[in-house]
Amino acid sequence: MARSDRLTEAAAGRGLPDFLGRPGPTAYHRLNPLTKATIATTSAVAAVALGGLIGPAVLLAVAVIAPAIAARVLRDLARTSVLLALPIAISALVVNLFFYPEGQTELFRIGPVVATAEGLRFALEILARIMAISGAVTLFYLTTHSSDLVIDLERRGISSRVAFVANASVQTVPAMVERAGQITDAQRARGLDTEGSVWRRLRGIVPIVGPVILGSIAEVEERTMALEARGFTRPGRRTLLWAPADRLAESLVRWALLVGVVALIVVRVTGILP
Amino acid sequence: MTLTLAGVGYRYAGASQAALLDVDLELRAGEVVGLAGASESGKTTLCLVAAGLAPRAIGGLLRGRIAIDGADIDTWPMHRLSQQVGIGFQSPANQLSQVAVTAFEEVAFGPMNLALPRDEVLGRTWGALETLGIVGLAERDPRRLSGGQQQLLAIAGLLAMRPAHLVLDEPTAQLDPQGTRLVTDALARLATDGASILVAEQKADVLAALTSRTVVLAAGRVVLTGATEDVLRDPRLPELGVTPPAAVRMRHAMRGGGVDAGLLDEALTGA
Amino acid sequence: MRCGAGASTRDFWTRHLPVPELSLEGVVHVYRGGVRALDGVDLRIGAGERVAMVGQNGSGKSTLLRHLNGLLRPTAGRVVIDGTDMLRRHVAELAAIVGVVFQDPDRQIFAGSVIEECRFGPRNLGRSRGVLAESVEEALAHTGLTGQEARNPYDLGHSRRKLLALASVLAMRTPILVLDEPTTGQDRAGAERVRSIIDSVAAAGRTVIAVTHDMELAAEHFERVVVMRSGSVILDGPPGEVLDEAHREHLSSTNLEPPLAAQLATRLGVRGTVTESGLVAALRSSAASQ
Repeated sequence: MARSDRLTEAAAGRGLPDFLGRPGPTAYHRLNPLTKATIATTSAVAAVALGGLIGPAVLLAVAVIAPAIAARVLRDLARTSVLLALPIAISALVVNLFFYPEGQTELFRIGPVVATAEGLRFALEILARIMAISGAVTLFYLTTHSSDLVIDLERRGISSRVAFVANASVQTVPAMVERAGQITDAQRARGLDTEGSVWRRLRGIVPIVGPVILGSIAEVEERTMALEARGFTRPGRRTLLWAPADRLAESLVRWALLVGVVALIVVRVTGILP
Repeated sequence: MTLTLAGVGYRYAGASQAALLDVDLELRAGEVVGLAGASESGKTTLCLVAAGLAPRAIGGLLRGRIAIDGADIDTWPMHRLSQQVGIGFQSPANQLSQVAVTAFEEVAFGPMNLALPRDEVLGRTWGALETLGIVGLAERDPRRLSGGQQQLLAIAGLLAMRPAHLVLDEPTAQLDPQGTRLVTDALARLATDGASILVAEQKADVLAALTSRTVVLAAGRVVLTGATEDVLRDPRLPELGVTPPAAVRMRHAMRGGGVDAGLLDEALTGA
Repeated sequence: MRCGAGASTRDFWTRHLPVPELSLEGVVHVYRGGVRALDGVDLRIGAGERVAMVGQNGSGKSTLLRHLNGLLRPTAGRVVIDGTDMLRRHVAELAAIVGVVFQDPDRQIFAGSVIEECRFGPRNLGRSRGVLAESVEEALAHTGLTGQEARNPYDLGHSRRKLLALASVLAMRTPILVLDEPTTGQDRAGAERVRSIIDSVAAAGRTVIAVTHDMELAAEHFERVVVMRSGSVILDGPPGEVLDEAHREHLSSTNLEPPLAAQLATRLGVRGTVTESGLVAALRSSAASQ
């Protein structure tokens, strides 16, 4: 097989393997993770700071949809960010459509409850913001490996321990979910009712959560020893095999975005712009 | 490198009884030594003590003397000791660092922690993968590998620390026959290359295949020691909680049934 | 109806519901993501049978095991217990009939004491106080844990925790008992107990099903071996037949090797036996007849 030959060759050459660094499929993916994180944070903050409906809508188009198209993740983005935002969006819509305090112009009525045009506009403003924020976060998530961001931060100086915790937390979650599933199976096999009434299901929390925690504690002890056996407790920095590339241009863009969003906040807070 | 335990005793923190009593053990370079005994006989404790994790990582009270090439190691910190003695555990998945996205990075974890120069890290990592025969797994997600493959990965991660001695606590306990064979074959190759290994095992067949010398523990003490062949044929094994290898049991059964055990030898060597 | 120390083993096990028949009819299971773990399995397990299910990881053993008590439901086909489709019953109800002991005790044990852990199952099944106490006491006796009632399970070693997990299901007195890798990670004494429990439970007429890769266990303690590969049953019959040399290729296709006794039997030209005792007996009689 070609792949294993290449690996054997790489082994013989003792070089950095080409699969490290996982270059992304598009130029947007290949941006430095800190840049992408900055884009996401400043977009989210700007979405809140901008007034009216036009502002957030334009932000959504420029800072979320356009890059998503460039990164070819628009469909996934739409799906995930809608799912993410849906609960809040629905409640915001309903509350404001019918109960907006300054609502006057009636649109329609359901029984005693009146939907107003002003309420609708306000609801849409909130919706635009919610979509912009969830879109920005989702865009980051879809185009960046969290471990790449952590490695980048470690290169820039955060402690190896903090980096370890950040990375390990991400991997722990699916393992814990699987573990909880196995525990649930074992308890159900002993008659724990997870399909009956809510009360019965609530009673099932301890036999499920208990072993998840207990077992995790027992596991943590063994994991800790295994880590210690591999030099984890050595103080100081560790060697990084690779780190995501960064460019001067990106660094400037990050600063520009930060300055821009701070300026926006100042301007809004001091009332220079409505 | 010779690792010597002299009169070693150990009590876990908060325990009322000692888990190890008066243990003398010498692990010389190039030897593969087996450790057998019923569960709770002290095998795991002995492994933890030999690797220095007890008491450094888990507290407890240690007695006696542990030395590497004659030098006492009681003041050595864990990260220094981990470059002399590497320890592997039963559970394949629990030994993963959980920060590696590929098997390569998993093996590199140790050398990276030691802040070695990048070329050194790369050299050791590729070397360890080659020694265990798992270069082909380098790109894979460690969490998706089989139990046996994860164990090989864990051992590679230890070898990358370049320890003089490997201590393995029941590496095949949680593996299916395929995984057991994978790990046993890899360890056999290591043994032929002159590695120094202490391997604790319930499976007597694995001990028979890998080790030249075996130590049997019971209630924290050494009760039997000698050439593996002799130890595994000792009639006291069952009462010491050790299941003899299948071939030995077969031999006993045949003798007990009045059948010529020579047939067994023929069948095992012939065909 | 308290059981005294002098009561026989048989009494304990025979106090149970009538043992139902369990069958899988054309069971297909496709996981989300498209993995076809079971590809049309037909299997009938009669009352009181002792069945060992073997096969490599990925052969579908674990998936099939989870269909036996309703934890997984078939994508196609059905699982029938006592004439009724299992779909009609919740897992909590089926637990009274099919008791499953999973491989890893640490993914189950949650109580602070051995006895509390053991009481969990029968309590869920609504047993009366007297029956509960009796069944727990007997289950602990059979697993050698009498006297350890107040101990924290995590103070016991892994082998005894595995026995505790087994005890907690034995205390439920289910007519069908399913064991997931009962001897893996078990020490000698523990494995001995497991083997004798399998024999006792079966001797009392209950069904025992074990998913295992311990071929010796399958050969010596089960009357029927079902071999799985890639979601299908490829061999099904008595150990003497299934583990015979004639099926060596089938077995190695799913990464299995017959136990040593079976291999020796082949080398020595003895057919029809795959157990240690069987081989010894066959060799004796052939020696005697010479």
